[in-house]
Amino acid sequence: MTEAIAAYAAWTCPFCSLLCDGYGLSDATSLSLEGSDCPRARAALDLHRDRSPDATPRIDGTPASLADAIVAAAQRMDRWRQPLFGGLGVDIHGARALYRLAVRTRAICDAADGAALMHGLRALQDRGQYQTTLGEIASRADLLVCVGTPAVEHYPEFFRRCGLGAAGSPCTGLVFLGVPAPARLPAGVHAQALPGSGDLYADVQQLAALVARRRVPGADPALAALAGRLHEARYAVLVWEAGALPAHGALLVEALGRIVATLNGTTRAATFPLGGSDGASSVNQVFAWLSGLPLRSRAGPLGAEHEPLRFGADRLLADGAVDGLLWISSFDATRTPPPVDLPRIVLGPAAMASRLQEAGGIFVPVATPGINAGGHLLRTDGTVVVPLSAVRDDGLPGVDVVLQGLADALESRT
Amino acid sequence: MTTLRLRGGRVVDPVHGIDGVRGDVGVRDGRIVALDEREPVDQDIDAAGCIVMAGGIDLHSHIAGGKMTLVRLLMPGECSCCAPGTLATGCRYAEMGYTAAFEPAMAASNARQAHLEMGDIPIIDHGAYVMLGNDELFLRMLSEGAEAQELRDYVGWVVHATKALGVKVVNPAGISAFKFNQRRLDVDERHVHWQVTPRQVVRALAQALHELGLAHPLHIHASNLGVAGNIESTLATIAALDGLPGHLTHVQFHSYGAEGPHKFSSAALRLAEAVNTHPNVSIDVGQILFGQTVTASADTMRQHAIAGLGSPRKWVGADIECDAGCGIVPFRYRESSYVNALQWTIGLELFLSITDPWRVVLTTDHPNGAPFTSYPHLMRLLMDKPFRDEQLAKLHPDVVAQSALREMKRELTLYEIAILTRAAPARLLGLADRGQLGVGAAADIAVYREQRDAEAMFSTPAWVLKDGVPVVRDGRVVATPVGAVHYAEPAFDAGIERRIAARTDRPLGLHPRHAAIGRDELCRCCNGGRLLPAECFARSG
Repeated sequence: MTEAIAAYAAWTCPFCSLLCDGYGLSDATSLSLEGSDCPRARAALDLHRDRSPDATPRIDGTPASLADAIVAAAQRMDRWRQPLFGGLGVDIHGARALYRLAVRTRAICDAADGAALMHGLRALQDRGQYQTTLGEIASRADLLVCVGTPAVEHYPEFFRRCGLGAAGSPCTGLVFLGVPAPARLPAGVHAQALPGSGDLYADVQQLAALVARRRVPGADPALAALAGRLHEARYAVLVWEAGALPAHGALLVEALGRIVATLNGTTRAATFPLGGSDGASSVNQVFAWLSGLPLRSRAGPLGAEHEPLRFGADRLLADGAVDGLLWISSFDATRTPPPVDLPRIVLGPAAMASRLQEAGGIFVPVATPGINAGGHLLRTDGTVVVPLSAVRDDGLPGVDVVLQGLADALESRT
Repeated sequence: MTTLRLRGGRVVDPVHGIDGVRGDVGVRDGRIVALDEREPVDQDIDAAGCIVMAGGIDLHSHIAGGKMTLVRLLMPGECSCCAPGTLATGCRYAEMGYTAAFEPAMAASNARQAHLEMGDIPIIDHGAYVMLGNDELFLRMLSEGAEAQELRDYVGWVVHATKALGVKVVNPAGISAFKFNQRRLDVDERHVHWQVTPRQVVRALAQALHELGLAHPLHIHASNLGVAGNIESTLATIAALDGLPGHLTHVQFHSYGAEGPHKFSSAALRLAEAVNTHPNVSIDVGQILFGQTVTASADTMRQHAIAGLGSPRKWVGADIECDAGCGIVPFRYRESSYVNALQWTIGLELFLSITDPWRVVLTTDHPNGAPFTSYPHLMRLLMDKPFRDEQLAKLHPDVVAQSALREMKRELTLYEIAILTRAAPARLLGLADRGQLGVGAAADIAVYREQRDAEAMFSTPAWVLKDGVPVVRDGRVVATPVGAVHYAEPAFDAGIERRIAARTDRPLGLHPRHAAIGRDELCRCCNGGRLLPAECFARSG
């Protein structure tokens, strides 16, 4: 298990929270994916193939050295009375550095996918959860129910990672509730799609009542049959996708939790979340372990505050409640900051420079963990931290290095 | 080169049999040295009127890993003592004079996260025990009749891969059994799928660790945690060791009888008798104290069973990577509750009735029995009989009427407290240069102002030194160096990797190339803290 393999051949994909580590790249230049046809990974790799973009930091559009850019950024940040740190596309080490800077500046922090992240977090805070992991699914899940998500649209390798279609897979039932079955299924895997009523909340509530064996007048026979299958299963897993949930998705997640709790009274079941890509779940966990509080928090003047609704980036920007934006997206060059009229500092891959709509503010190109930097990310099931390796060296600083420099520069101003 | 002298304190150092002798303690470059009294030093600290001890060592405290971050996510800001962030964890420990704490329940598949979190705990040293005995690979090997040597090599490899200091077994085979819908598992009951018993698991793991030569014996969270009458399975677990070393953890939760009108009684004296007559056994207590806390355990089987008793009513469970489990239930221990009051007395009865303090460690199983910040209160309960009686009188009247605690007159001395919180855990973990103040030891030192109220004394040290650097002054943190990580380096046959690969293509939930944490990676996870590998001396079977 220790033989040396070229980093590109033994690649771990950082571009969704499945963090697949079984595929490789053809070489460090063309970055062609081998062993998988994952469209999400391919699209992301396409953006990193070109090594030619100008990797020079810019201050209001003017090229600058990294040191000058950091000093200028610190000067500007020091004037912000209530900063917002958004995007948060960072790995665990970037998140560690980000937290220290957030405390120093009393910034509010929210991920680009913060609204999706909060569905699961608020359900957890209110009711708790019973979850399982990829390895458990592959080993023992005999019934997989994807609720309101085709799963593989945004997580193309999900079913393969669950072992579906592989010899010895215990899974004999794959059901999609409220969505059509996707075309992309492993060979030999048959799925059943239950269209439901078109109102996912109503369908899941009805399913919860049926699983709890309550009387449901006019119950949908398909849901009643599903409730029966859930009871008969030895280990049923309800899959949900944070980014696919509608507004107030926490209510759906809570209902799935209730179904699992009922089933666990007599048989075994668990939920499984898909989400937290682009560093979101990693930075959320890092903030939680460092401070005791997750994202949408700040080290305020009266102590630590956590506001899962009020500290949403969109709301803060719409209300004009912040006066400066630090935007970080180290994985995705297309994930540019929202177009708001605020002083801003942007950290992103070099290819982001040409995509920024306005030249104003400071832009610092940074390395991407898993492409031109090492790092660690947390997998979607929140259990396994996966190491990332650089497949090439572009001489770009890591997010952690830039943020540490920024924190040091701020310290030296006081 | 920096030098420091703690002058004129009363030194309590059980490793060297020193009990309150007035003297100086010299420090040079992080180590304790013999300094000539005329030798000038960089810092001269007047310790007159103070007790000088080694820094405290918490051998069982849930401080890091995915489970604890789930606690933080479940209860944001609801219980800052029972689920502090890592930054606060390090500071609160140091503020009590503790300089090391060990995470006892690291899931192998979550080892990187545990090390990352521990690396973010400032000041104190750390390390972790990896959980085995519920991983499907070990159970399968045991079920297939694997040779003891193969099991030993597998255990050695997991310790190596996860950079663990020790090995813990939690509800032997029971976490896995719950995944197969088994709701209880007695010591001689068979796992419904793998057909192995907890007795076999305990025996095989204890043997493997003994042969690998790990300093810390198998850390055992026994079967049937919290169940009335579980003293029988706890005693059966001791018997399962067959005389091999074993450390039974949070035994308060495993010392229950099923007698009396409530069918729930203290079996503390039976357990104490067993510990007193089994020199191969050490324990930590897992004392409960009253108030809000949260129980966090890998024991999904038992946590699921008690989830309905939680307060507030919410809980988290998880089945983890064919490896482990996780169950989190918030809990409020109430003085008016018969069960909680009895638990409180059972813990104290254990402390006071086990005769050899070198085999007892003071813990609350943070946060399960109480937050670690309540240690000074617990120390006073153990050292001050009138105070203890005063607290006992507040409890459920049925408990007050029947408890053996009323008749226990023993008051632990400072010397005994120093054993329970310093010398014994250091010895049980094999930390030869910690938990003592001899020449050459690490200068992890706590200086307490001597006073009658032990709670006040242990809450606010005058000084705390970490590797010779003052980190606390008058109970306030003044410096936050990065702590070091302790881990074991057992020797094992590397051929085990091939045999693991033949059984699974994703050991520890990862691609095989990522299964083991390397030294450089450990260093990065631990924020550049010092790596303190412990050599293991293999023993014959």
